[in-house]
Amino acid sequence: MGTAALAREQDLALARRAAAGERSAQRELFHGQRAAVHHTLFRILGSNRDLEDLVQDAFLEIFRALPSFRGDSTLTRWCQTIATRTAYLAISRRKPQAIDLALVEDTLPDSADTRRLVQVRQAARRLYAALERIDVKQRVAFALAVVDGLPLAEVAQLTESTVVATKTRVWRARRDLMKRAAKDSVLASYLEELGSRREGVDERREP
Amino acid sequence: MSDQLELGPPPVESLSDVAWARVERGLWARLDADVAATAPASRRWLYLAAPAFAAAAGVALWIGLRGTPAPHAGVSDDPLIFTTSGAPSTVSAGDAHISLEAESKVVMSRETPTAMVERGAAWFQVAPRGAQPPFVVVAGDTVVRVIGTRFRVARYAEVTTVTVEHGLVDVRFHGVGVQVAGGQSWSSDRPNEISATMRTAHEPRVTPPPPPPAPVPVPAAEPPDETPMPPVRARPPAKPVTPPPAVSTKTVDPDEAKFNRLAALESRDPATALAGYLELSRTNGKWAAVGLYAAGRLAMDLHDPRAPTFLKIYLRRFPKGKNADDARKLLEGDHR
Repeated sequence: MGTAALAREQDLALARRAAAGERSAQRELFHGQRAAVHHTLFRILGSNRDLEDLVQDAFLEIFRALPSFRGDSTLTRWCQTIATRTAYLAISRRKPQAIDLALVEDTLPDSADTRRLVQVRQAARRLYAALERIDVKQRVAFALAVVDGLPLAEVAQLTESTVVATKTRVWRARRDLMKRAAKDSVLASYLEELGSRREGVDERREP
Repeated sequence: MSDQLELGPPPVESLSDVAWARVERGLWARLDADVAATAPASRRWLYLAAPAFAAAAGVALWIGLRGTPAPHAGVSDDPLIFTTSGAPSTVSAGDAHISLEAESKVVMSRETPTAMVERGAAWFQVAPRGAQPPFVVVAGDTVVRVIGTRFRVARYAEVTTVTVEHGLVDVRFHGVGVQVAGGQSWSSDRPNEISATMRTAHEPRVTPPPPPPAPVPVPAAEPPDETPMPPVRARPPAKPVTPPPAVSTKTVDPDEAKFNRLAALESRDPATALAGYLELSRTNGKWAAVGLYAAGRLAMDLHDPRAPTFLKIYLRRFPKGKNADDARKLLEGDHR
């Protein structure tokens, strides 16, 4: 049995035990998948604010849906798909939030790394503040494809959509964001940088 | 970005261990409630309950939920909500009688014999269920299943207490079950222990306000320069129940009383609770350390940027404090 087939069998066995209500299996699944689920939610939402409730919601949906897991994708990918759906629903339900960009003062930079971290945080805050104001599907696609750097095919899988639709959403999101960045040089240059990274990903993975 | 640093994608900031522990606790409680809510139920309970609920509406204060019901309620999308403010109240729901203490809120399912204590405390008197599914009370992470008994479930801050007057209930907490019999009580603060209670059947069923019990009991032998805070980590499986010591009455230190009030206030008004903890930390009494640590922990929960400062001051002032290890772990887990 190959590695992939073995992993699939293990995923299926764990899913069956957890679906049957075996708490130790549920714990194993939770601890095994929590980083991936949190990563997906964080990328789409942009911060840990309200994320505890969303992680709980996502795992509750995962446990409820476990009987339908057939091993067509890895358990991690399947959990991330549910996490993506959870994030999408959460954003759709809530009103746009006013984000205070100066809410937390970052520490003064004292090295290149610290300086980079401070700048990336500032840029990310501006990016997610702008993402709050665009279409939810576009936002999710952009966050996964451009911010997280996933190939479009994977993003399409996570968003349960087609590659063409995903590509269109990313393109529209970028266009809307660039409009919003017209008066924000920090955001504009960050979008430019993320865009060029995205092109690099496309070149490597999506000939 | 004047110096053209390559920024890269924003880093994914991890959740602290404390946050993960909270997520996990909530998740298992919601799963338990899910299971309880989907257990095969006799609809007879619903038909019996309907007229009783109608009569109860005149007695109970009926206040609509602010927004949608809490998702962890596990009690359906259109629950019955009973709340009390200054005075206790009693309602009947089918073969269950519920005495709400002051400042309490209980949410009940219309479809299954499930109740959730959202805050405060309530006594439940449940007639023998026979072949019917067990009556279930959810309070935070705690799930109480009952066949027929009289018991009290209290929920203040993160601590849930179950007191059984007579009968037997099954309490599940973090996936571990214990049985609490008549004359015994259990607290999520010390989930592996079951204590005897002094309460008897002759005591009034509804106690007058103000009710919040001490979520952090003080060890009698050692002066409590600090008391460990409510649990933040998963606990080991329950050990066999040891014979419980009798609960004794003691005089409550004003600072301790203040701390307990603040702990009860945390879930409803965390900002005021935080201010109160900070005020407590400025005193010279033995509860200053507890207040300071609580301020740090709560600030961390609230993503307040002052949290690390509070915890560092705590560690500087009380390097060997009872919460010092937890404070260090909180600081280590803070990646902000």
